[in-house]
Order: sequence, then C-alpha cells, then structure tokens
Amino acid sequence: MSRADWIVLIVTLAAIIAWGLYKSRTTRNLDGYFLSNRTMPWWLVLLSIMGTQASAITFLSAPGQAYTDGMRFVQYYFGLPLAMVVLSVTFLPIFHKLKIYTAYEYLESRFDVKTRTLTSFLFLLQRGVSTGISIYAPAIILSSLLGWNIYWTNIFMGGLLIIYTVTGGARAVAYTQQLQLIIIFVGMFIAAYMVVHLLPEGIGFVDALKVSGRLGKLNVITTGTNGQGFNWNDRYNIWSGIIGGFFLQLSYFGTDQSQVGRYLTAKNLTESRLGLLMNGVVKVPMQFLILLIGTLVFAFYQFNAAPLFFNKVQINKVAQSASADSLKIMQRQYDALSVQKKTAVTQWVNDYKAGVDTRASEQELKSINGQTEQVRTGFKGLLAKEGIAGDNNDTNYIFLRFVVDYLPEGLVGLLIAVIFLAAWGSIAAALNSLASCTVIDIHKKFIRKECTEQVDYSTSRWYTFAWGIFSIIVAMFATNMGSLIEAVNVLGSLFYGVILGVFLVAFYVRPVKGHAVFVSAVIIELGIILLFWKSSLGFLWLNVVGALGVVVLSLLLQPLMGKKKL
Amino acid sequence: MEQPNDKIPVFASWTKWYVFVLLFNALLIILFKLFTNYFA
Repeated sequence: MSRADWIVLIVTLAAIIAWGLYKSRTTRNLDGYFLSNRTMPWWLVLLSIMGTQASAITFLSAPGQAYTDGMRFVQYYFGLPLAMVVLSVTFLPIFHKLKIYTAYEYLESRFDVKTRTLTSFLFLLQRGVSTGISIYAPAIILSSLLGWNIYWTNIFMGGLLIIYTVTGGARAVAYTQQLQLIIIFVGMFIAAYMVVHLLPEGIGFVDALKVSGRLGKLNVITTGTNGQGFNWNDRYNIWSGIIGGFFLQLSYFGTDQSQVGRYLTAKNLTESRLGLLMNGVVKVPMQFLILLIGTLVFAFYQFNAAPLFFNKVQINKVAQSASADSLKIMQRQYDALSVQKKTAVTQWVNDYKAGVDTRASEQELKSINGQTEQVRTGFKGLLAKEGIAGDNNDTNYIFLRFVVDYLPEGLVGLLIAVIFLAAWGSIAAALNSLASCTVIDIHKKFIRKECTEQVDYSTSRWYTFAWGIFSIIVAMFATNMGSLIEAVNVLGSLFYGVILGVFLVAFYVRPVKGHAVFVSAVIIELGIILLFWKSSLGFLWLNVVGALGVVVLSLLLQPLMGKKKL
Repeated sequence: MEQPNDKIPVFASWTKWYVFVLLFNALLIILFKLFTNYFA
C-alpha cells in the first residue's frame, strides 16, 4: 500500500473510533448500556440492523460469489421481507410489551428457566464462534493480499472496535454503524464506477452486463431443477431462498440477540416495526447491487488477464514446491488463454454491436472460459497434491485483489477501510449482544442476582471486553473453511432452526409446555448436527427441518410428558 | 411500547405496510426474472 492509502485507512478508522467514543455517553445502567435507553429512531434502527447483518465477509465474498457462481446468491435473501412482516406482527409486540433485554427472557415466562438457558447457550455458542470467524475471514484475506502479519491483522480487526464497544455499549454501536454504512456505500459505489471506467474504450456498463450475462453470471433467478427434478442439494435457488431463507431470516432477526438487541433500542414499537419493514424493502436491492459489482469485475477480467489464482500466497507456495514446473506450464497455458479470451470477447462485442450473428464468437468465448476454468481447477489440484495448507478457495480474494491491482492510490486505502468498517459493524453488535446475554441470562440469573446499577454496568463492560478477547482468540485458531461467507451461514443454520422452533412453539402452540419443548429442542439439535454431518442437504433447508422438527416433536411429546418434572 | 395515538407513517394501517413490503419484493423478483432472461 502507498502512503496515501495508509493515510486514508488510518484517518478513516481513527475517525470511527473517535465518533464511537464521542457517542458513548449513556446512563450507567443496563438499560443505557444494552438498549441505549430505548431512544433510537427507526432510521437508526434500520442502519444498525443492516450494519449488523452486513459483515466484511458480505462485501468480500458476495462479489467473488457472483464472479464464480453468478448472481443467484441474491435468492438467499428472498425470504427476508416475509420474515420482517411476521416479526412485525408476532415477535415485536410481545418483546416490547414485556420490556425484555434479551429474546430468551421471554422463554422463561412462557416455558421455564431451562428452556431459556438452553436457547441462550446455543446462541452464545454459535455467535461466539461466528464472531471469531468474522474477524478471521477478512483478516486472512488482507494479510494474504497485502503481506500483513495475520496475528496482528486479527488483533487490529477485532481489537480496535472493543475500545468504543466497551465504552459506549449499544449507543456507540448504533452511531458508529450509521457512519460506517455511509462510508461503505460510498466506497462500494466508487469501486463499481471504477470497474466500468477501467473497461476498454468503447465498452460500457451495458456491454459488460451483456458479456457477463452470456457467460452465465446474471442468473439471478434459478429454479433448482435439473433433469431428475428438484435438486435438494442445490444451495441457492428461488425455493430454497424463499422457504429456507424465510426460516433462516426469521430465526436470525427474531431470535438472535445480535439483531434483537438492535431493534429493542427503538423508542417504541412503531419505530422498531418501521426499521424492520424498511430493511425488508432495501435489503434485496442492496445485495443485488453488491453482487452486480462481482459480475462487472468478471466482465473486466474478460478484457484483462485475470490471475491464475486470486490468492497470491498459495501460488507462491506452489512455486516453491515440487510442483513448480507444473505451475510454470499451467501459467503459460493460462496466459495464452487470457490473450485468446481478450480477442474472443472483443470479437463478440463487435458482432453484437454490429447486429450480426454472435453464435460463433459466443461459442468461442465460452470455450475459452471453460478452458481457463480447467486450468484453475488443475492449479487447485496442485494445491491438494502438495498438501498445501491455507485457503484453497480464492472466491473471497477476487474483489480485493482487483482493488489492490487496479484502483488508484487512496482508493485502495478507502476500500480496505470499508472492509474494516463492515467487520467492525457486525462484530461490535455481536459483542454487545454476547455480553447482554451473558449478563442477563447467565450472570444475573445464576451468579449474582441482586446488585447495584453501577455494578451491573461495570460487569457488562467487563463481559463485553471478555467476549472481544474470546473472539480474537477464536480468530487466531480459525483454520481453512472454504468459502467463508458460507461457513458463517452454515454455522448459523445448525442452530437457528432449533432456536426458531422453540420460539414458534412459544408463540403459536399454546398447549405445549416447557418440558416437551426442551426435550424436543435437544433431540432435534442432535438430529440437525447428524443430518449436516451425514448428508449433503443444502444448508438453508436445515433451518426448515430444525424449526418444524421442534414444533412437531414437541406436539407429539406433550401428551406423553404432561406435567412430568425433569 | 406503542401508544394508542402513535401515528403510522405513510400508510393508514400496518396491514397496508405489510402488503407494500411483500408486493415490492414480488415485483423485484419479477424484474429479476426479466433481467435474467434478457441478459442470459
């Protein structure tokens, strides 16, 4: 990075920390620290829930996902608007009426302490680990691309935000997320503009989309069917998105404290509802635009030579292994194909603009792209053959590699700052929610029930700090996990379905009591882990199986268990 | 907590808000399908 990039990066990050500290003034009690005294307007709630959901992985992986797999990933969010409506109708009125701090508190009044503690524990387990991954995921990419030390990158990625999160609690989290999102959107807009600007002369935005579309990258809507009918193992299609995505988003926004804690800060039910409903309006278009950047980058690399593998560190490792000669041959093949590809895509664009038959040039372009993919697969084979450790999936490196290689000085620093800020927004909210659950559901329930507001406040700050350190330690231990955005989503899907099932029973199945729902949750959770381990079912379906499994099993068990004490 | 006199912005009732959110996204999916077909 150049000096200008460093200046932009450091000034941006310092400004966020200063803004967070400036906005840290809050009353020194649990209401002030965890819920900002329930004073937030709807637009701040909206920005806060968006900033919490959109992590660094979102901005790194989504363009890469579009580059490699096309835009169909956007279907993952199709269930979100319906989930926002269901939450507004069912969950929100109850949460606001009971004036709870955590979603799990409600389960004690509806069921019993053990059900509340189980769901709270499942949340702490999955959110604690996934926050660590949220630190590690962008850190490993930045360290690989920029040659930074991974341990120090983890510490800066997960450590600096602790300053304002510990000091200011939910209020500082919300106000920093507001500024972070503005900077993120500006940065991503500039990046999109630059991709189009860097295309060869005479090639515009629509031409780039035409190229990506013809090469199968604008597959926004897919049905998940193949020759043998519906493919249940297909991860992203309109049905898994609407049905599986609905259950996942309902669980995430309705039962994950990192989100519940955001909209509980609203000054009343109306502001909470508006925040969530507006999220249902803006989320899908936002993801669409982020993915669109990936397809533009794909079009850009049709006219310019793409790296054989976007993670440079892995190429260097192979170059120093026994397969170095094979790598040289592959690199020569790949370079030759890149030249052919440029010629073919130029020919296709000329044909298309001249209005002549494009079938021959399109076939040629597709054939060359197929061959380049084969060479890339061959390189991954070398990584496997040599047993090289590290991330052997370069999807998450594509966008940032483009930024580092092609954007001018200053903008590189801004885009790297965007990655930091996106990470901080979600990690800060996660730390705040982990601390609120630990304090409200565990500490004040089992360790020290009665203490002064000042002690509660101080304890909450210490737990926030402790979870921050825990997350950094998890990041240090995180190893190769393939596509990291999916790793986080898969981890969530292992637990979300069951937690949602418990809440669905609580809201809609009044005859079922605590013992039946508790036993059902434990059995179905074990079943979900087994199902994930032994089958290749698309992970979004795990949310459906988990939620419906708990509802059905608890209905079956209730007559058998009756009022039996556990 | 929502007060009885809390004004619902833009629409007259929350039901209309819910319908708006769902119709907006249904329209988006239709546009995405047209987009996919146009560029594929």
